[in-house]
Amino acid sequence: MTSEYTKEPKGYTMSTVMQEAARCLLCEDAPCSKACPAHTNPAKFIRSVRFRNVKGAAETIRENNTLGAICARVCPTERYCESACTRAKIDGPIDIGGIQRYVTDMERKENMQILHPGKDNGMSVAIIGSGPAGLQAATTLRQKGYAVDIYEKQAKAGGYLTYGIPEYRLPEAIVDYEVQRIVNLGAKIHYNVAVGTDVTMDQLKQEHDAVIVAIGASAAKTIPMFEHNICTESAISFLSRAKENQGKIDVPDNVLVIGGGDVAMDVVTTLKKLGVPHVTDVVYEEFAEFKASKKELAGAQAAGVTIIDGYAPQEVHQNRVTFKHRKINGELTITTDKIILAVGQKVDATGLDIDIQHNEIPFRDARYHTKDPQVFAAGDIVDGDKTVVFAVQKGKEVAEEIDRVLGGQNND
Amino acid sequence: MINKDLSVDFLGVHFENPFCLSSSPVGNCYEMCARAFDAGWGGIVYKTISTDRFVIDEVSPRFDELTKEDTPFVAFKNMEQLSEHTLAQDLADMKRLKTEYPNKVLIASIMGENDEEWTYLAKKVEEAGADMIEMNLSCPQMTSHKMGSDVGTNPELCKQDCIAVKKGSSLPLMAKMTPNITTMVPVVKACLEGGADGFSLINTVKSVANVDLDKHVGLPNIDGKSSVSGLSGKGVKPIALRFLQQLRSASGLEQLPISGIGGIETWEDAAEFILMGATTLQVTTAIMQYGYRIVEDMKNGLMHYMEEQGVDHLSDLVGLANKNIIATNKLNRNYKVYPEIDWDKCIGCGRCFISCQDGAHQALGWDDEKRLPTFDKSKCVGCQLCALVCPVGAIKLGIVEMKPGREGNPDEIDVSSQRLHTYHPAQSN
Repeated sequence: MTSEYTKEPKGYTMSTVMQEAARCLLCEDAPCSKACPAHTNPAKFIRSVRFRNVKGAAETIRENNTLGAICARVCPTERYCESACTRAKIDGPIDIGGIQRYVTDMERKENMQILHPGKDNGMSVAIIGSGPAGLQAATTLRQKGYAVDIYEKQAKAGGYLTYGIPEYRLPEAIVDYEVQRIVNLGAKIHYNVAVGTDVTMDQLKQEHDAVIVAIGASAAKTIPMFEHNICTESAISFLSRAKENQGKIDVPDNVLVIGGGDVAMDVVTTLKKLGVPHVTDVVYEEFAEFKASKKELAGAQAAGVTIIDGYAPQEVHQNRVTFKHRKINGELTITTDKIILAVGQKVDATGLDIDIQHNEIPFRDARYHTKDPQVFAAGDIVDGDKTVVFAVQKGKEVAEEIDRVLGGQNND
Repeated sequence: MINKDLSVDFLGVHFENPFCLSSSPVGNCYEMCARAFDAGWGGIVYKTISTDRFVIDEVSPRFDELTKEDTPFVAFKNMEQLSEHTLAQDLADMKRLKTEYPNKVLIASIMGENDEEWTYLAKKVEEAGADMIEMNLSCPQMTSHKMGSDVGTNPELCKQDCIAVKKGSSLPLMAKMTPNITTMVPVVKACLEGGADGFSLINTVKSVANVDLDKHVGLPNIDGKSSVSGLSGKGVKPIALRFLQQLRSASGLEQLPISGIGGIETWEDAAEFILMGATTLQVTTAIMQYGYRIVEDMKNGLMHYMEEQGVDHLSDLVGLANKNIIATNKLNRNYKVYPEIDWDKCIGCGRCFISCQDGAHQALGWDDEKRLPTFDKSKCVGCQLCALVCPVGAIKLGIVEMKPGREGNPDEIDVSSQRLHTYHPAQSN
């Protein structure tokens, strides 16, 4: 059954992608492109596919989004480009993510090298964290001619992309491919280096003209009653174990998951793909207010997960959890082999001397600035959506802000 | 299920329905033709036969297709020539077909290189029991310049060949015309003088459909080279209909008996050929793509069309459109008709705006905020490009106005167009 976990759904072929591209109405001032947070410009790349210019389509995607192949797979497009698609008024939106995946798959097969480093401008930037925001910032800065050093505390780059998103949604090979492109642009990645422990923030500030903190929210939130429960594991710990072992981990017959976001959906669907017969997900929100993307929710339901909405946990005794409905009189007790908590993540900025409140840097008029003029922030610790595509945009924007502050563009 | 009489009489031969295989790979032997008859085709033009002296030696591969978006077979390129069998074999197959299917029509397509061959072949196919002869004067991929479409552009040669055929047989005679010519009229008149009774048109259009961008060779690639050869299928339908019109509007040819060929794959295509003057119809490309079974929907659809038109005989429909296709300088140019946008149907894609701006007269503007087209009547010329590009059929023909200083009553002007509004894609919503 583990093969289900590593099996990515089939992508388009040249002829089926053309069928989908031919459905596109090729709108004036296309709403889909305006709805992409990273300005990936789907209207332009779909038009390129329609006119059989797949290489041009790849250029459009790549020049706007260094993680184009990843976003193609994991972006909750229903919230962004596809929610704006005019074709939905006839039947359904264009499968923009699917077309993007086809184009980036072709780019990989053709070994296209689209992005190039800018002329060296003599300045350098340190980036803490190699998640989506850090990788995009590195790309944009390399294009502008900055030297880039990425400090990653883990053994692999990608952050949540590598350690969180399950293999069936985002194969590790795709992340490796995207990271390699950025390394090829000249970004140096220092693995297994924790800033604050192995190297200090002051050292980075001395060695670089600017520092970007793009650490994401990598620590699991918990609920006090579960803190010392031996049956409980955090979602990110579970997902990371599954991914690192390519699904070859031991799982019990009966798992209770608590949480209703996209991470919870990844957990429950992964459990089913690993062959767990009984997966029960209890969710605080009712269906109408669900946080998870419809696509991931539908995937979980199709996989056979039991989802119970509107209940909050009241007490836990080892492997027995009692919930109460938030609005109606109702109680639910579940005895399980294992409990997985998917109730959000928080920022762990230990040793970085950066001001974090409620998991974000405080709002400032000059976005991406921290209290230290030499230190910038990007990714999930900056206000805004916590999705890969938003992280990409924040990575681009922080790079542009640094370029503005350091005057690198004068060297262009 | 509807059942109407689709039979037609053409050159004195009775067809149970007008649908025939055209002379091509689809009617290449007894077994294929028998299956086509069983599938419901009314007649078959057996693949062109020649004398055994002319050796048929085909290339491999021999086809290519023109595509658009995800649509295959927009047009089809073919390099096959004539039947590869011995003459004796083909004649035996024809004889067997006629014996086993006495009520179906068997037409022998023949091609000779000189008078003697034409006469000989005509005699042989009559002996084999063919109901009719079709002279192939138009195959564009023959390896001999004395055969095929080079002959078909030369009125004198065509006339001579017709005389030769008539010498060998008294069967009704069709001459198959090449479209690789500016006007077919002189050739047709010459054939009539030579004794031809009717005409089948069009044969394929000389073409290079695609070029291999890496190897710099046309397709199909035959050991690094390719040749000009015949294009057929839906893409050539407009060319075929134009030639039907050219003949049926020529002085003295108004009642010319025609077997229509060129991109027929639906009952609508068939009805169009009939309205343009065809009595029988011939099909190849659609069969190569979809098989003999397509005749079922062509027959059934045509019956429903007859019902809608209120006619009991197909012959009542033949050529009805010819009189309504007139010289451009005879058209009513005194009015224009403006588009009328159905705002309930409009989905705000802006395609009408883009096409009007870049392909017409800038009458449609764009409201960025509302995401809807705006209309400046003073700039509109009434071309209706907007209606053609609208993906949801939200644009109709609206107000009719006489041009300044022109006579006429707008209410009496017929601007309705079925094609535009009944059969438009996505019209259903």
